Amino acid sequence: MQDPSCDKNFSFFRPRGATMRGETRVIKLILISWLTAIAGTQLYIYLLERNYSELLLNELTIFNLPVHFWLTGQFLPLWFIILCIIFNFWMDRHSARKLEGTLRFRIRPSDGEER
Amino acid sequence: MATGTVQLLPLAIVAGLFALFIISGLRTSKNQATEYGFSGGYSGRIGIGASIPSNWMSAASFMGLAGMFYLKGYYAMAFVVGWTGGYVLLLVLMATQIRRFGKFTAPDFVGFRYESETARTLAALISIGIAIIYSVAQFRGIALLVSWLFGIDYIPAVLVGASLVVSFVVVSGTLGVARNQKLQYFVLITAFILPLMLLTRKLGYFWILPQFGYGTAISDLQQQFGFSWSDPFLGTSLFQWLALCFTLMFGTAGLPHVLSRFYMVPGIRDARWGVGWGLFFIALIYWSAPVYGVLARLFEARAGLQFNAGMADAADMVVLSAAGLGGLPLWVIGLLAAGGISAAFSTTAGLLMTGSASFSYDIYPRLIRPDASEADKVFAAKGFFLVLAAIVMVLTLKPWGMIAEIAAFAFALAGNTIFPAFLMGIWWSRANAAGAISGMLLGVAITFAPVLAGDVLPWLPKLFPVTSSAFIGAPLVMLVMIAVSLMTAPPSQSIRRFLSAEVHDCPEE
Repeated sequence: MQDPSCDKNFSFFRPRGATMRGETRVIKLILISWLTAIAGTQLYIYLLERNYSELLLNELTIFNLPVHFWLTGQFLPLWFIILCIIFNFWMDRHSARKLEGTLRFRIRPSDGEER
Repeated sequence: MATGTVQLLPLAIVAGLFALFIISGLRTSKNQATEYGFSGGYSGRIGIGASIPSNWMSAASFMGLAGMFYLKGYYAMAFVVGWTGGYVLLLVLMATQIRRFGKFTAPDFVGFRYESETARTLAALISIGIAIIYSVAQFRGIALLVSWLFGIDYIPAVLVGASLVVSFVVVSGTLGVARNQKLQYFVLITAFILPLMLLTRKLGYFWILPQFGYGTAISDLQQQFGFSWSDPFLGTSLFQWLALCFTLMFGTAGLPHVLSRFYMVPGIRDARWGVGWGLFFIALIYWSAPVYGVLARLFEARAGLQFNAGMADAADMVVLSAAGLGGLPLWVIGLLAAGGISAAFSTTAGLLMTGSASFSYDIYPRLIRPDASEADKVFAAKGFFLVLAAIVMVLTLKPWGMIAEIAAFAFALAGNTIFPAFLMGIWWSRANAAGAISGMLLGVAITFAPVLAGDVLPWLPKLFPVTSSAFIGAPLVMLVMIAVSLMTAPPSQSIRRFLSAEVHDCPEE
């Protein structure tokens, strides 16, 4: 049975139904983390370059790499992989819960009463 | 690049690798039925994951990115972030939903969602345009490698390379070769990372993970030769960097041959996890590509060679020249060349076949011959494949730019057109055909205007840089889609009901 709040008119910012609302909520969180990481790292590197000695960016190293190389070239792709894993785990859990709910709904009406 | 001598050992390795792929492909095709010969099979999430980079890795990843890094330093990091971050967009906003639509090509999707033959034809034409531009980048990579392998000039190398690509597709098609994508990915990643390990070991750096070991090369360059990478935004502004990065991300989520991965996977959950694995396998390449650029600079500085910022051809061959200058044996350089050619060949074959399929199924029976039979469509696909290959070959004769730059232009076109059409089609029920058509037309204009009218309107390439126009272009296209959709009639009840019930509320498999 479809969620009564389901409507055929929807948008990403105006989701309809429990499934879509849950999905868009997690997508928004993932996209915010994605955008913040990209813009934040570049802004940080830009400010480091503008405000400090030219060689600071080479002297500041993480895992043997200059900070800007590591943050952009190593950390960001790794962060994207982590975001994908989080999203997939959430979706798996969400769909498992949904399936559980559907099964429960199918079994309960045998006594004609909904609890 | 022409040396006048044929590189016999590398040539033998290239031939051997292709023979391996064909034999393995013949064995694979016995175990599975594939519709187009190149689709390959899927075995679990890791199998889907390996098929994504195998499909994705092209001359741009294998050669172009290192060249870009060698020439432009930190600016090239925008490619690393753009080509990996785009998969997050693809996963969270599109992969699951596209699978639920049950359509098999980008024009199919657009035609069905927007209930419009015009939108479908426009999407088909754009898909063909993207295939042509992206293939030009691949042909350039193939020509440079062929030029080195056979010791011939660039122009004859383009002709030889094009003939080889067409022969490869004809032979594969005739024999019914399916792509063994896991094997191809394994060979490509080995061919790419093994030389790096050998190079960093020779230099006495941390060679087990050259992706970290190359940090010592950066400090050596600074201490011994006074060359510093410490001004990331000196040559390019923050805006230009972000514009390129986001254009590549939007383009990744809008490239028809990338999206097509998700139409065919067996289950939604496998599709999602496949993207995660695929991104990891792709990241392995992009964590490694900058190493070639940095090491090439170091070897050149040690050899007393002058750095020339205008040598695009040399920069695109930097993967091979780094291995050569580093004193690696010829068989390792041959392995690199074989990996580059194999990546470019498979991508070109896939792109040209996607383009010819768009023509034969979306344009030919609708606009040219409405009574075309299935046999006519297959014949048209084969003919158009040759026409596309000829167009790409002629375009490649002119050096438009570096491999990665030409590829980025294709991404800009995809990011300005297909990406907004898909995104709005999935996530806004009110988006209609008029909005999609206006948006895609504007996207085409935004992509090509800086090239065609940049001299007359100098502000245009500043706002929409040629390789990075989707940063502002894609949101603008979406705004136009929204405005036009709101001013015109809403889509039918049936498609809105389908979107609501099937795309956004259907249970997982």
